[in-house]
Amino acid sequence: MGLTSPALVVVLAVVAAAALATILWYWPRLAGRGVMPVLLRIAALGVVQLSVLGLVFVIVNNAAGFYSSWSDLFGSQSGGGAIIADRYHTRQNAGITEAAAPVTVLASSPIAVPGRPGEPGGQLQAVRFYGRLSGLSVPGYIYLPPGYGAKVATAPLPVAVVISGQLDSPGDPYSAGRLAATAARQIASRSLRPLIVVMLPATVGQHDQGCLNVPGGTQAALFFTEDLPQAIDSAYRTVPPADRRWTLIGDSAGGYCALQLAMTSSESFAAAAVPPGGYTAPPGPAEFGGSPLIRTQDNLSWLLGHQPMQPISVLFTGTGQGQPFLSQARPPMRARQIGLSPGEWQLAGVFDWVGTTLQQTLASRS
Amino acid sequence: MGLTSGFFMGLTIAVAVGSAAAMVWLWPRFASQRIGMVAARFGLIAAGQLLVLAAVLVLLNGFFGFFGSWSALFGGGWPVAAVASSQPIVVTGSDLGPVPGGSARPETANGRQAAKPPGAGAQSPSPGNLAVAPGLDLKGGAAVAAQSVGEILQVTVSGGQTGIVSAANYVYLPPQYFQPAYAHVRFPVVLALTGYPNATWSIVRWLRLPATAARLVASGKIRPAVYVMMNVSVALPRDTECANVPEGPQAETFLAQDVPHAVDQTFRVQTGSAGWAVLGYSTGGYCAAKLAMMNPYQFHAAVSLAGYYAAGPDFITGSLYGGSTAFQNENNLDWRLAHLPAPPVSVLVTSSHVGESDLADTLTFLHLIHPPMHGYSLILAQGGHNYGTWVRQLPQSLEWLNQRLSPAMPQAQPTPPPGH
Repeated sequence: MGLTSPALVVVLAVVAAAALATILWYWPRLAGRGVMPVLLRIAALGVVQLSVLGLVFVIVNNAAGFYSSWSDLFGSQSGGGAIIADRYHTRQNAGITEAAAPVTVLASSPIAVPGRPGEPGGQLQAVRFYGRLSGLSVPGYIYLPPGYGAKVATAPLPVAVVISGQLDSPGDPYSAGRLAATAARQIASRSLRPLIVVMLPATVGQHDQGCLNVPGGTQAALFFTEDLPQAIDSAYRTVPPADRRWTLIGDSAGGYCALQLAMTSSESFAAAAVPPGGYTAPPGPAEFGGSPLIRTQDNLSWLLGHQPMQPISVLFTGTGQGQPFLSQARPPMRARQIGLSPGEWQLAGVFDWVGTTLQQTLASRS
Repeated sequence: MGLTSGFFMGLTIAVAVGSAAAMVWLWPRFASQRIGMVAARFGLIAAGQLLVLAAVLVLLNGFFGFFGSWSALFGGGWPVAAVASSQPIVVTGSDLGPVPGGSARPETANGRQAAKPPGAGAQSPSPGNLAVAPGLDLKGGAAVAAQSVGEILQVTVSGGQTGIVSAANYVYLPPQYFQPAYAHVRFPVVLALTGYPNATWSIVRWLRLPATAARLVASGKIRPAVYVMMNVSVALPRDTECANVPEGPQAETFLAQDVPHAVDQTFRVQTGSAGWAVLGYSTGGYCAAKLAMMNPYQFHAAVSLAGYYAAGPDFITGSLYGGSTAFQNENNLDWRLAHLPAPPVSVLVTSSHVGESDLADTLTFLHLIHPPMHGYSLILAQGGHNYGTWVRQLPQSLEWLNQRLSPAMPQAQPTPPPGH
């Protein structure tokens, strides 16, 4: 009779019930004095208990599927099977993997160093990213410092990522052109070491969702934490992943995104420079998969008190309230606030800070 | 009084036997055929049966290692550190006895010695700059033993991102880790996950992972790797199913980011995904496949022994997805394959034609896999949801992983190895 056969359950149930009924009914006959009645009592109790235990075991085993047969139970099954490779996918889904390149350069233009005509300031590339894991296609810009791509091999460069809602608004401090010019200016004045600046819109996908993974929807965090580093590393000479973390910069549209990424992916991002704020909710329409608990987690002030302090630096740029971060950040997390630089180049000080944090990150890793 | 201590197990047996003895002793007092007396007899037998059942459960728990402690059984939330530990891995035990199967002592390569529980045995040398729990001395004189049989360390892992602290886990360092030829070599890592509920020692004792790996390395079938053995649940007795529970334990982030980061910082291991794989059985199998699919740049291969493909929520998991169907979908491997780009990982899934209820789900999953993901299957004719089955599947699984892990290449040796 098989270990998992219904018949075994029936048989054991009948045996247990019969044993129980028998012992209850014939109890007085075993009540006598002497060795023999005592031995019989022990035997009767043993039969009842073993039959019930056996019944429980078989029922539990059948429900959970632990042992499929007597030989399985006693360990006498032996031998393996064959590993069958990868022949399952059908024709319908075999051909849809023609993935786009992770980075496609659409256009490239030289950057002049502001105030120093004729001095090369690097170049600005208009690119399109394709995220292999997220499936997202995102337009962006990449600033490459002067000398990048020269025949003399330059050292691998650190990377800053700007998340901005104003990339295509000429004249705005957070526009692609101004960001590139600011970086070129600071590099030329030697207050910033050469770096690559990756510029992305705050909105990847349908709406601006603060670069969160929308449950069941746009996997923006996946794009920023996995796809983007992979794409940049595949196409540019950057510091190897094991030796670096990146720095983020966000404008008013991308601030939540930048701070959120630093707080939840501190292994990838070491610092974020964002406008001051409490960041209690992501921008854009609420998309939290119908779960108020997920919505709570998206409150970065809440997160500050409910996860360990992360090894990140937060710089609040400009005027405004930076609470609760400024007062509650504890080492290894640091938070401070600076005003924007006066004059035409508002983000000069921010870029210098970014350069400093990138160098510190490199030093602490090596 | 520990749940798995000999004293407690003995106590439950004594209570069960004592109750039976009392019943035999008091038997004549209940010998009337009045209905009340018959009912009293039934009550006596039922009570005795419950005590026997309790003793059997306690013994089975001690034997199989489902719950390693009272807190694992009754718990009380998950500990979250306000400040991440500066030492993400602290060694809490190193005198666990030698790992069998090292080339120096092939006669012990039967997997039995690894069943030796923590407690006795020779101290072994510190394999580097390890943080060690107070009262534990890693500076033993058994360097030769470590060079020939390797070392199993009991560790507590603290997650820097999540704050999760997971104690009583194990790291197996192969003998090569201690040998001069490999002194500057970084090893690939296999993260091994238990089922639920399990004490992590089950991977050593019942799955026999270190013993099997040592035997396969000694016979030249696989190259050495570091095996990091972790409890799949980060908040026992809760079944956390390696999910980032909203407003709860971020189990997925802990296992996929914090643990690799902690291992990177502590041991001489490779950092890229080419050197990392994840393996597990049952719940650990589901998690192995899920972690690799969600984090393909951390784990590029996964082995799921009798895993499943979607999890909970149910009464032992509690709320896993914050009530969000959409987030639950993201944790469903079939849904991911149908709705998200396939990740560049290879997954080996196992099942049985007879005895394993996940066969149909396994075939469904395999048919959904498409490039750049690759699916492999190991399906036995017969084998239930038990260690006997997984032990049979493990050698092939490790050989399969070996073909996908970036190897630890020894440096050319100026002198012949000792013993020749």
